[in-house]
Amino acid sequence: MSEQPIISVSGLRKTYGGRSEKQYEALKGIDFDVQPGEFVGIMGASGSGKTTLLNMLATLDQPTSGTVKINGSDVTKLHGNKIADFRANEIGFIFQDFNLLETLTAFENIALPLSLQGVRKNQIKTTVYQIAAVLSISNLLDKYPTELSGGQKQRVAAARGIVHNPSLLLGDEPTGALDSKSARELLELLTQINQERDISVLLVTHDPFSASFCNRILFIKDGVIGQEIKRNDRSRNEFYQEILEQLGTFEQ
Amino acid sequence: MLLRLATSNIKNRIRDYIVLLTGLVMSSAIFYMFANLATNQQLIKSNLNFQYASQVFIFGTILLMIITFVYVMYANTFLLNMRQHDYGLFMMLGAKRSRVGALMVLETLIVGIGATIIGILFGILITGSLSGFLFDRLGLEIQHFNPLYPKAVAITFVLFALLFVIASFMNLQSLVRTPVLQLLKQSDSVDKFKFSRVRLIIQGIAGIILVGLGYWSLASIKTLQLMAIPIALITIVLGSYFIFKSSILLVITWIKKTNWASKKLNGFTLSQIMFRVHDYTRILTITSLLFALALGAITVGAGFHREIPMIANSQSSFTLSINNPTAAQKDSIKKLSGATSYTYQQKLDHKNVYYNQAELDTKPFKEPVPSSDFKKPTKFKNASSKELMENTPPDFAFLAGTPKPANIKIVPDKAFKSAKGTNQVVELVTVKDIPSNYKALTKLTDEQNKRYPSAVDNSGAGAFRSYQFVSSVFGGLEFIGYFLGIAFLAMLASCLMFKILSGTAQDQIRYNLLLKIGTRRSLLKRSINRELLVLFVIPGVLGIIDVLFGLQMFKPLMIDPYYNISILVGIFVIMYLGYYFLTSWLYKLIVLPEK
Ligand SMILES: Nc1ncnc2c1ncn2[C@@H]1O[C@H](COP(=O)(O)OP(=O)(O)OP(=O)(O)O)[C@@H](O)[C@H]1O
Ligand SMILES: [Mg+2]
Repeated sequence: MSEQPIISVSGLRKTYGGRSEKQYEALKGIDFDVQPGEFVGIMGASGSGKTTLLNMLATLDQPTSGTVKINGSDVTKLHGNKIADFRANEIGFIFQDFNLLETLTAFENIALPLSLQGVRKNQIKTTVYQIAAVLSISNLLDKYPTELSGGQKQRVAAARGIVHNPSLLLGDEPTGALDSKSARELLELLTQINQERDISVLLVTHDPFSASFCNRILFIKDGVIGQEIKRNDRSRNEFYQEILEQLGTFEQ
Repeated sequence: MLLRLATSNIKNRIRDYIVLLTGLVMSSAIFYMFANLATNQQLIKSNLNFQYASQVFIFGTILLMIITFVYVMYANTFLLNMRQHDYGLFMMLGAKRSRVGALMVLETLIVGIGATIIGILFGILITGSLSGFLFDRLGLEIQHFNPLYPKAVAITFVLFALLFVIASFMNLQSLVRTPVLQLLKQSDSVDKFKFSRVRLIIQGIAGIILVGLGYWSLASIKTLQLMAIPIALITIVLGSYFIFKSSILLVITWIKKTNWASKKLNGFTLSQIMFRVHDYTRILTITSLLFALALGAITVGAGFHREIPMIANSQSSFTLSINNPTAAQKDSIKKLSGATSYTYQQKLDHKNVYYNQAELDTKPFKEPVPSSDFKKPTKFKNASSKELMENTPPDFAFLAGTPKPANIKIVPDKAFKSAKGTNQVVELVTVKDIPSNYKALTKLTDEQNKRYPSAVDNSGAGAFRSYQFVSSVFGGLEFIGYFLGIAFLAMLASCLMFKILSGTAQDQIRYNLLLKIGTRRSLLKRSINRELLVLFVIPGVLGIIDVLFGLQMFKPLMIDPYYNISILVGIFVIMYLGYYFLTSWLYKLIVLPEK
């Protein structure tokens, strides 16, 4: 535990609704750490606050109180261009939907984070080809998103999420719109990214199968973390069984 | 149930509906404004001293119809895109295709015809207020002009109704052909830009040749006569389309290969433009035409506005002469802006008019110096007494205010005083700007005519009489130039605005995603500014070139259609840029999420 955690969340609260509106407390004090290289899942019923939490981590939304430290710096204090630069440099995203810009080819979509960082053209090319080879989408690079299947799109999105070597990859139900085969492929890919590139992954999901690819799972209920289970050295299948059991007891 | 779905859709997309309706209302209003002039034969015959006036209007109508057609079809696609998700949903819920089809035809017709009726009413209102404003400002009177012209109402209505019937049947066709799933996906399908470079290059060259041919035919209106106009119409429209299409695709694919394209958001901006290349080419073509029409019409209007007083002022050194002005007349002369005046004593007997030599020496009468250079204001020189008596300038001859020109006698002070006859004075008034004093001058002239009827109707002393005559010949063209110029400018504005605002729904998603992956807002703003700038600049440039050649048409009519053209273009460009900033500000406001 000597290493600095990649994510360190403490006392995180989020209340929706302005003064005059009806108030709703979606997060009621969340504390947890993620160590570098971990693959963490966040599970919970619909409406339990998963997306809300992820948005705080991704600086897409401001918490009402509490801190989120990523790589040691408090991201809730960032503003304007600092937020943009932080997202561009430190984080990769895969969302459930609206992942790709349909006006750009797969190649251009993947290259976007590098262009934003001002990487040189040749460097961009080599990096994109390299990533594409790893994710086996080399043959799709010239296609436009409308010409890709859902699974292919998510793989391109994953490539874009990691092309700039972020320290953290965030996913909000990235397998939500995929069939089981494509979902499995994407999850294996995320595992591979996590292990080979040493990128920490945080995955929000309500699907136990997806969750079984993680090392550790946090369960959220009613805005607080209720439970935590670890995979340790067990096989994925054993872990899957435990997740199912946990869900059974946790969600009654 | 269907009704509730339909109304909830309108509620949800109220902004899109407002954009759509405003666009359609504008286009029918402006078509009406044009038709009001174009269908009024009496107006054209009595006011336009231009051999081909009615034919020019026929071709103008055709051109505007093409523009309107493109515009309405574009609006229709927008409407269909907005509704297609719902239609898909209806069908998925079990509604019959025919039922949904009927609903769709009904919706298109209601939206279209509703907008047309509002548009015509709006058009009548603007025609009334704009023409009133122009007559007042320009110092003109036009016969047979009526803001509410039934024939124009009928034509506008029939044309738009027809367009919407066509549009709704096109919608029906596409509904029958599109599978439900695709309707539901509501994917705004990406234009396929797999194109052949060779074909594009050929198209580009053909475009340049066509436009060149069009310019040539405009310049050769003297030899080609009436044929010049349809030739130019066809070649310039087609040529512009080809040029836009090929140049955009070729230039952008070329830029995309450079290093510049991989910097920051440049690649994205280029793709945004290319992504909509088909819409863009059509819209750019019509905006360049509208730009040219607006600028051209205003240039012609401004040209006549300058030339009419210039011709008038070259006839006489003074504007108006009044014999024995009454107190009321003196008062209204004082109220004229930029006016100077002086008086001469006159003595009239039954056949002579006497002037005092001494008075003419101190306040010499000026006559125009003959010149062949029409482009410069006429110079005036002092006329000697001898000249005035023997070679009397026409305007001096009328100063007596007698029905028949009298013999002019200029005599020394003593002789003048001892001469027998009635005493009379004549006041010579000069104003700097005739049009801005038009009403007061007309009143003074009418009174003078009543009190001192002149021998020949409408001829008499002073530049204002010439002004009335010249403006009866060319004033119609001046008015129509300004009127249509302003109308086309409004159409241009609404066209671009419509094009831009109709894309916001999809753009919003895109910009949001870019922000999420860490794009700075400033960078996004720059990307938007650039994309819109391309949309504005390209048709603007071609429009200016169109005008420079198009003005050739007016060479036979005007002294110098190109006079001050750079200033006019400059003013126009500044207005256009202002409009660009407004649009891009509005667009950013809509598309970029709040912080
Ligand atoms: N912008 C908002 N304004 C008000 N309440 C919100 C807002 N966003 C979310 N909520 C509320 O906060 C709670 C948590 O929402 P959140 O989106 O985080 O759920 P989730 O766990 O991601 O659910 P799901 O699995 O369905 O995606 C919900 O009760 C939701 O209604
Ligand atoms: Mg969620």
